[in-house]
Amino acid sequence: MAKAIAAVAGSYEQAGRRGAAADYDVSLMLRFQKGDELAFQELVERNQGRVVGLVYRFISDASDAEDLAQEVFLRIYRARKTYKPTAKFSTWMFRITANVSLNALRSRANRKDDVSIDQVTDFGDGPRAMPDPDTKMPDHGLHQDELQTKVREAIADLPEKQQVAVVLNKYEGMSYAEIADTIGCSTMAVKSLLARARDNLKDHLLLYIRTGRGRQRVG
Amino acid sequence: MSPPCQWVRSVLVAYLDGELKPSTAEAVRRHLARCESCRAQMRLLEESWRLLDEMPTGRVPAGFTQRMMARVVEEKELSAFAARLRPHEARRRVFASVLGVAAGLVLGFAVYAWTGMFETPASPVECEVSRHVSFLEDVDLLDEVAVIQAIDRLNRGMDEVEDGA
Repeated sequence: MAKAIAAVAGSYEQAGRRGAAADYDVSLMLRFQKGDELAFQELVERNQGRVVGLVYRFISDASDAEDLAQEVFLRIYRARKTYKPTAKFSTWMFRITANVSLNALRSRANRKDDVSIDQVTDFGDGPRAMPDPDTKMPDHGLHQDELQTKVREAIADLPEKQQVAVVLNKYEGMSYAEIADTIGCSTMAVKSLLARARDNLKDHLLLYIRTGRGRQRVG
Repeated sequence: MSPPCQWVRSVLVAYLDGELKPSTAEAVRRHLARCESCRAQMRLLEESWRLLDEMPTGRVPAGFTQRMMARVVEEKELSAFAARLRPHEARRRVFASVLGVAAGLVLGFAVYAWTGMFETPASPVECEVSRHVSFLEDVDLLDEVAVIQAIDRLNRGMDEVEDGA
């Protein structure tokens, strides 16, 4: 077993050194598995942007994004002994990210039922993931905040699997096959999920697109 | 909606995503060229999809890696503490088991003694009867023996009568 891991690690390390299209993150994970803590740090540095970005897409809340992203990396850290390089590292990492984000959404939904009007939102005092100021602003009359709220609601109203498929397809540019690997279903199931999701999104956002010029409210 | 339109609508998203086989994509393209209704549907799907670009992107806050590695250190310390705790925990469990068994025995004895206190002492007659329990258990057998002996005596008496006669 150890020999097999070493052989795979060796091949990935060679591939990484060559700068080939091989999954360098897998080689880092295997180095970490052998006790190289710096490899884990490098994994965090290489992937934090994608993880924070993806968490933010799901929960749309900058105040929780860093904590949840750290939770994702902690799960990766804890899984070092059982990790097997059977798939792309990003597939595995995105699966963890989606699970952590959806769990947070579920507990947030449960909390919302219990929150009293006297409770105040705690924004914390530490540095937090912030929306990127470079994100392009729309050139239309509708307030940006209002449009973002509508889009966020449209995504949040989707069933969980559709949400995951949409986020991975839209924001990570994943193919149907990659999404299928990540959420553990067939490519045909992803095709069906995305067809229904995009139909739902279209219905939800119809008011903003009906004129054909886009993003102009009707009525 | 005509059957061709229904079929095109069912694969339209996959067509937009470039996930159809070339021959299927070509068939969709030909249909769209002559069907205004399906083209309008496609535009709605494209436009609603484009609206998702308006969502802001999460940005990694400064010092993320340092805070992450600090959490890893905490995690390691916690694991080490749990590992140190494990032998103590095992001993504590054995001790708790032994203590539980002993407590059970003491409690059982106490209950037995306590219920015994409320039993009325046996009367002299009961004591006498209990001394002859084995005899009483065999009384049926003795009964049968007595009957056999009586029959035997009766038979012998009959024989004597016949002899005398």
